[in-house]
Amino acid sequence: MKKYFIYILSILSSYAIAQTTDEQKYLLTSASNTLGYSIINLNDPYLSPLTYSGSGVGYDFQSQRFLSVENTHISKFQKLSLLVGKAHNPPYTASMSYFGVNYGWGMRCHLKPMNKLRVQIGGLWDLDFMFKYLARNVNNPVNVDLATNLNVSGSATYDISLFRKDMKLKLDMKSPILGCMFVPYSGASYYEMFGLGNLDNVVHFSSLHNKRGLDANLMLEIPLRRSLWRVGLGYETMKWSANDLVFERNNLSIKIASVFDFATFAGRKKRAPSNFISPNE
Amino acid sequence: MKKYSLIILLVAVLLPSCMNEPIVEPNTNMGNFESLWRIIDTKYCYLDYKKINWDSIHTAYKAKVTESADALTFFDLMGTMLGELKDGHVNLYSDFDRSRYWKWYTDYPANFNIDLIRSARYLGENYKIANGLSYEKIDNGRVGYIYLGSFSNGFNDANIVSAMTYFKDCKGLIIDVRDNSGGSLDYSKQLASCFFKEEKVTGYIKHKIGNGHTDFSKALEVKTPAHKYIQYQRQVVVLTNRKSYSATNDFVNRMKQAPNVIIVGDKTGGGSGLPLSSEIPNGWMVRFSSSPMYDSNMQEIEWGIDPDVWVSLSSFDQANGIDTIIERAIKLIK
Repeated sequence: MKKYFIYILSILSSYAIAQTTDEQKYLLTSASNTLGYSIINLNDPYLSPLTYSGSGVGYDFQSQRFLSVENTHISKFQKLSLLVGKAHNPPYTASMSYFGVNYGWGMRCHLKPMNKLRVQIGGLWDLDFMFKYLARNVNNPVNVDLATNLNVSGSATYDISLFRKDMKLKLDMKSPILGCMFVPYSGASYYEMFGLGNLDNVVHFSSLHNKRGLDANLMLEIPLRRSLWRVGLGYETMKWSANDLVFERNNLSIKIASVFDFATFAGRKKRAPSNFISPNE
Repeated sequence: MKKYSLIILLVAVLLPSCMNEPIVEPNTNMGNFESLWRIIDTKYCYLDYKKINWDSIHTAYKAKVTESADALTFFDLMGTMLGELKDGHVNLYSDFDRSRYWKWYTDYPANFNIDLIRSARYLGENYKIANGLSYEKIDNGRVGYIYLGSFSNGFNDANIVSAMTYFKDCKGLIIDVRDNSGGSLDYSKQLASCFFKEEKVTGYIKHKIGNGHTDFSKALEVKTPAHKYIQYQRQVVVLTNRKSYSATNDFVNRMKQAPNVIIVGDKTGGGSGLPLSSEIPNGWMVRFSSSPMYDSNMQEIEWGIDPDVWVSLSSFDQANGIDTIIERAIKLIK
């Protein structure tokens, strides 16, 4: 009897091991929705020689996912940022409305240099657009910042324990290295550029000699019972120059984000497992 | 390796310092004066053409700037300084006033009387209004007459087609742009295109590419296209006076090169510099001519365009309800 019991136990154990080794793995996409309130300073010498200061609200959507189940050292990353607001000149005699969009896509290498610290480093290509409107101006009420950049991008995450919760302190940064940008001459009207088609010398190569910037976010990740949040500060500074014009943009914001992971299932080859229930039947 | 890393870091920090920060003046009377003077010095396009010694003006006006002057006094002083440019496109705007130079028309006869235009002999009481176009048949229905008081008041192709259709039995057309001090260059081009059979280079434009008084881009062609479906080919007379300025000056420049068009009246006021805006530390805005525009022979038209036929408004005719300039135009059409 004892012999049969051991025999059956062996068979059952080997079957359990086989189940574990055949278990399907899924890649999760880590995403966050961030809302922020910003204090912003703008210097646009095409519109005005004065620095315009004001406030705005911003929204970011960010997602990140490893390349494959086998390769968990490299991830792809994308971020969409929106910013809208209003700024005033120092004597409050004129106001400038602005709307900005930035989309970036890149890849990062994941490193763990020491216990509790995880570092990601990589590159990010982005497309940056900001529309500025100074209604009071005659024939030059609008200017557009349009640029595409190759950035160095990275983050550092450190595990900390606060208030008996396992939290993370996360610093995320990017800085442009090279790209190209639209900068008109201060004396060229948009009528001449776009009405008459004169776009001579408006597209410029950018690199560290004429463009520098840093976009950094320091966030504290707080896990609650059924949700994950980040709160923190964002700071963006960007300065660029062409055609004897020096532009500047500085933005300090307070941010709150909700963070979540999700897996995607679609089509015949990526069906959701049967124990995943979808309303799309 | 460490040495090279330090060098790269140093270069990365120092290289961006090659972006020259602009001079920021303080918000004092002197600071605002210097800022305004420098805006004109670096961005105004006619200093060289008009032979204005802007450095001498700096010396003369700097001596008059005092910190004790109140805003109105300081504003008037700055307005007077800008008046040295003799340019209707140069204005200083504050919350309480706008400086201006109007001598480009105030120093000359008006050659226009709106009451005459609205009399029964011309537009009458029941004239047609299509957006910015006021029009009616005159001379017993033989001549079409359009008064366009501003290129800021828009009009569209349907408005133009309506007027042309209304005038289909008329021998010719009078377009009266007297006292039209300008507006949109797009409207000027749109209306002028109705009188061209084919696209033509009717002018040139430049813009400043540096702070020097003669730092300009290459001249860019300004073309007047032929309108896709409106082509008026009968005799056209355009009426002008000294107050025909800015976009109207541009319109007259285009029309002078159209077939079957005669310009009648007085010389236009000019104003061929496309104005842009800037501001000084106290928040006052300054408008100034930035991009000079030329005729098709690269001649300056800042001081105005001569008519083909010089006609002045006779006071005798006015007293008898007759607009001398319109009557001359009617004779030219017949």
